[in-house]
Amino acid sequence: MTGRCKRGLAAAVVITGLTLCAGGAASLAQERPMVLDETTVPKGRPAPRTSSGKPDLSGYWKGTRQTRPGGNIGKDLPGWKLPLTPAGEAALKHNLTATIDPESLCIIGGIPRHNASGLPFEIVQGANKVVFMYWYSYFRLVPFTAGLKHSDDPDPSFFGEEIGRWEGDTLVIDSIGFKDEKVWIDENANPHSDALHVVERWTRPDYSHIHVDTLIEDPKFYTRSFTYARTWVLGEPDEQVQEYSCSENNVDAAHLGFGPGPIRPDGTRGYVDPAPLPPPVPRTEPARK
Amino acid sequence: MTNRVAIGLLILMACISSRALAHHSFAAEFDATKAIRLTGTLTKVEWTNPHTYFYLDVKDDKGEVVQWACESGAPGALSRRGFKRSLLKLGDTLIVDGYRAKNGANLMDARRVTLPDGQILSGASAGDGGPQ
Repeated sequence: MTGRCKRGLAAAVVITGLTLCAGGAASLAQERPMVLDETTVPKGRPAPRTSSGKPDLSGYWKGTRQTRPGGNIGKDLPGWKLPLTPAGEAALKHNLTATIDPESLCIIGGIPRHNASGLPFEIVQGANKVVFMYWYSYFRLVPFTAGLKHSDDPDPSFFGEEIGRWEGDTLVIDSIGFKDEKVWIDENANPHSDALHVVERWTRPDYSHIHVDTLIEDPKFYTRSFTYARTWVLGEPDEQVQEYSCSENNVDAAHLGFGPGPIRPDGTRGYVDPAPLPPPVPRTEPARK
Repeated sequence: MTNRVAIGLLILMACISSRALAHHSFAAEFDATKAIRLTGTLTKVEWTNPHTYFYLDVKDDKGEVVQWACESGAPGALSRRGFKRSLLKLGDTLIVDGYRAKNGANLMDARRVTLPDGQILSGASAGDGGPQ
């Protein structure tokens, strides 16, 4: 690249940055990032408790930049390599080459996919059940009344049949009875079968953090169980999940290809080397008819 | 990398820090090798979920007017970053930079929108794995 080009690029980048900031100055003051840097979040303030003495998990929870790779259920495995069985390999191939992302078709993502999502979520905890509310207007209600047991033959669903219980200060959610069609276990189109069994162990280590340790078992598609752990941080008191009608105008559904597209070496979905956009139009040369 | 480039990139990153509602992977719909710029007249706005769409009448290479659909993030995501519905006025000439749909339709992912007054807005569904 010549020196002239470098100077041009530098100017374009700076102009773009300044223009974006200047143009949206008023609104940027309101900006609420959906993902936070965990190192900036204070620690140590005790978690609130309900009248029953259990930790209150209620809050609007945001992902952190430290969660990498985002959207990948194999995040905690070496090389993000999932222990797929031959049937699991075939299911992954099917998802990549013959299925459109179910969420993009306004189908519930389910668990554990929602726990791998980049989107915030909200918890409201009651006396004997807890509700998880997600962007896309999905929710799940998890009862934790003592003595609950799974059904002998639960109806398949996207979140599964969820049974909660408290083990000390940990809310344990045990889920079986999942669907095996139109489901991706994560953003990268990895599969799960109807044999999926998920055990989530939710804790609130302090006021500003919530954490889950997840055990995932699926003997049809995975040779062994594996784990997925993640921490979210508390949003502002006035933040909450907003209205979102997925099927209002899903124009893109007719234009989507199969699978998530390329997966980058860092385990996230997307192109490695995208073509650059044309340089920004300098603000001194506004677009006019 | 010059200091100016570094500073500019930092400003950009700070301004586009919000991850929006990634309804689907960028790469499932758009081709990151096909960056394009459209200049056209705004004819329709759909301020809807899961994506906003606005439509431009654009003159093609033969001088004929063709309609393009420009896909952006969800209304809530755009609004939070200052991209308000009221900024889009029918009849305005917009410059839109983004990426073409993989299936060849007259559909693009509108990553950057330049308004008639020169204001630049980010229309991207950030968090979708698309170019930032």
